[in-house]
Amino acid sequence: MQSNHWKIFLATLTAVLGIVIGWQVIEPQTASADEQTYTFATNNTFEPFEIQDSKGGYSGKNPGIEIEILKKIAKHEHFKYRLKAMSFNGDLQALESGQVDAVIAGMSVTDERKAKYDFSTPYYTDGVVMAVAKDSNIKSMKQLKGKTVSAKSGTSAALYLKKNQKKYGYKIRYFDSSNTMWNDVKTGNTAATFDDGPVLQYGIKTGVPLKIVTKKPIDAQPVAVGYQKGKNLELQKKVNDGIKWLKDTGQLDQIINKYTKGNGTTKTTAADHTILGLLKTNREALLRGLWMTIELTVIGIIFAMIFGVILGVLGVVNNKFANGVSSTLIYIFRGIPMIVLAFFIYMGVPNVIGHKVPLFLAGILTLTFDEGGYIGAIVKGGFESVSQGQWEAARSLGLPYSKALIKVIAPQGFKLMVPSLVNQFIITLKDTSILSAIGVMELTQTGTVIISQNMEGFRMWTIIAVIYIIIITLLTWLSNYVQKRMA
Amino acid sequence: MDKKYKVQVKDLHKSYGSNEVLRGINLNVKPNEVVCMIGPSGSGKSTFLRCINKLEEPNSGHVYVDGYDIADPKVNINKVRQNIGMVFQHFNLFPNMNVLQNITLAPVELGKMSKEEAEKAAMHYLELVGLEDKADANPTKLSGGQQQRVAIARALAMKPDVMLFDEPTSALDPEMVGDVLEVMKRLAKEGMTMIVVTHEMGFAKQVADRVVFFHDGDIREQGTPDQIFNHPQHPDTRNFLDKVLNV
Repeated sequence: MQSNHWKIFLATLTAVLGIVIGWQVIEPQTASADEQTYTFATNNTFEPFEIQDSKGGYSGKNPGIEIEILKKIAKHEHFKYRLKAMSFNGDLQALESGQVDAVIAGMSVTDERKAKYDFSTPYYTDGVVMAVAKDSNIKSMKQLKGKTVSAKSGTSAALYLKKNQKKYGYKIRYFDSSNTMWNDVKTGNTAATFDDGPVLQYGIKTGVPLKIVTKKPIDAQPVAVGYQKGKNLELQKKVNDGIKWLKDTGQLDQIINKYTKGNGTTKTTAADHTILGLLKTNREALLRGLWMTIELTVIGIIFAMIFGVILGVLGVVNNKFANGVSSTLIYIFRGIPMIVLAFFIYMGVPNVIGHKVPLFLAGILTLTFDEGGYIGAIVKGGFESVSQGQWEAARSLGLPYSKALIKVIAPQGFKLMVPSLVNQFIITLKDTSILSAIGVMELTQTGTVIISQNMEGFRMWTIIAVIYIIIITLLTWLSNYVQKRMA
Repeated sequence: MDKKYKVQVKDLHKSYGSNEVLRGINLNVKPNEVVCMIGPSGSGKSTFLRCINKLEEPNSGHVYVDGYDIADPKVNINKVRQNIGMVFQHFNLFPNMNVLQNITLAPVELGKMSKEEAEKAAMHYLELVGLEDKADANPTKLSGGQQQRVAIARALAMKPDVMLFDEPTSALDPEMVGDVLEVMKRLAKEGMTMIVVTHEMGFAKQVADRVVFFHDGDIREQGTPDQIFNHPQHPDTRNFLDKVLNV
């Protein structure tokens, strides 16, 4: 009986491991061998440069200026590309850590950036404009004294604000996505926002209730593709050749005009924005996000359990060194905020090991270490709360330490741990949402992307919240059932 | 080490920090002998007992069991413990197993018997302690006296040649004490070598071949029950017996 359970458990474990590792190995090789594949980081909320469709991709008719440019260049120059949509800050960090080969995200060429990155030939000139709420009286920067203004962190708008802060006496608040930032102006929390001209123009055209008050763009700067300094020279040459070809043939102007002039890209406003309608339109994207959340949770819990049980056992074995290792690791992983751990694994570790950590793997590792730390503490505590008399009785019969642990202490300990473990599983499920920070397309990130297109923050976050509640309820029922069976 | 003794203890010292609980104990136990250890609480008798199977690690001295010095780190303590049965004050049955599994666990896990043999043996010992109808019971559902008798059966199942009893009746309701002592008497009669820490003076008087009086980490006096109970020599012994016998 007992050994049969173990066999089934081991078989399941091996299967899951196989799938995960197999998938991780196969994934990067899907490109054909004759055409080089490059990874481009881009911004998921950056219309009109990047416009994601409802599935979170760029396969629609109007994927945005930069996506169209990239598509044409890639075809003309015979290379393949993969897109990674993140916040602009995430893009830069991914580039620095070598997670991506290039950044194409409305990146303006500044002197500071030139010192740090290589840039392609510019394909657009972009300037920062100031926008205020539709009903605001603010017309110029002189009226901003003592008020709060906003920009996306790391953008040239942010640099401009910083430079002129003393002169105008405003407070600066930084955001990660235009959508949230604009919303903040709409609700009146910030008096004005500074963003790229075309981005704001496009947003206003598609229904954002702001108005641009700057006559002439401030600080006009060229926009280009960014690379790590001195790296990917072959790609740099190809992209420059492609941009030249687009300019020469007039295609570049065509693409830009399509998004900044006329009504070509205006979304159909007839879209159904009731909750039911939103569910219908975004069904596929939501399901995909939900599935990713579940996948992360299940695989994350399995690995966190393995790691946690190892930590817990190391914590109780009769060896001072092992005890020390266990409590140190538990201390570290419980002490680091999960988002920092995620950044560290996804963007920090590649700097040291010299190659990328695949996104999904980074997510699983984050969950394994963070939740594993907590599970380790639970397991250790569970073992320790089994009375000393049980150890003595088992050992006095001649059972060695390991057998006493496995046969006598562990079964009693695990029974004591079950409620805490179930609680930890539910926390794990919720914690997967933190992985949206590194761009994992799970449920929360899916929500962010959808809202960046339809601006339906209240309804969409309600939908997302309800989905979480439903799966957590299901998980709770399941665990209650299992606990009842075990008792 | 002298071959004619089952257990031989030489100059055993044990302290917790600066608190010396055993101050150089010497004790020899012959095969088939029943030794009862009495004395006030805190006198070190339980610690001494736990040193015999190394549940407590002695600071210095030697404990020979079946010729093995358990203080020697090269000696495989798990092997030696297989021959030393131990019964605890609080029974310490495994609540995650039923009565039968409690008894068969060690013999099967340690490769002494097949599962079938172990179960047959377990039933034999359950009969011996009068609990053959409780084989499938969950130990937590049994009374204290029943649990202690199962614990004795569990220890016996390893076929030990020494049995250590650490205040086996102290945690029991008075009406349960008799059943457990009855089982112990029977074991003594069958020739088991036994070292018993107890407060049951009646049992010591009736069953012990030798009574050892512990006081302040030392053996003050030892002898036959008649010598100790009827003609105690040391004032500490007299003082102790006065207190426990004239309640």
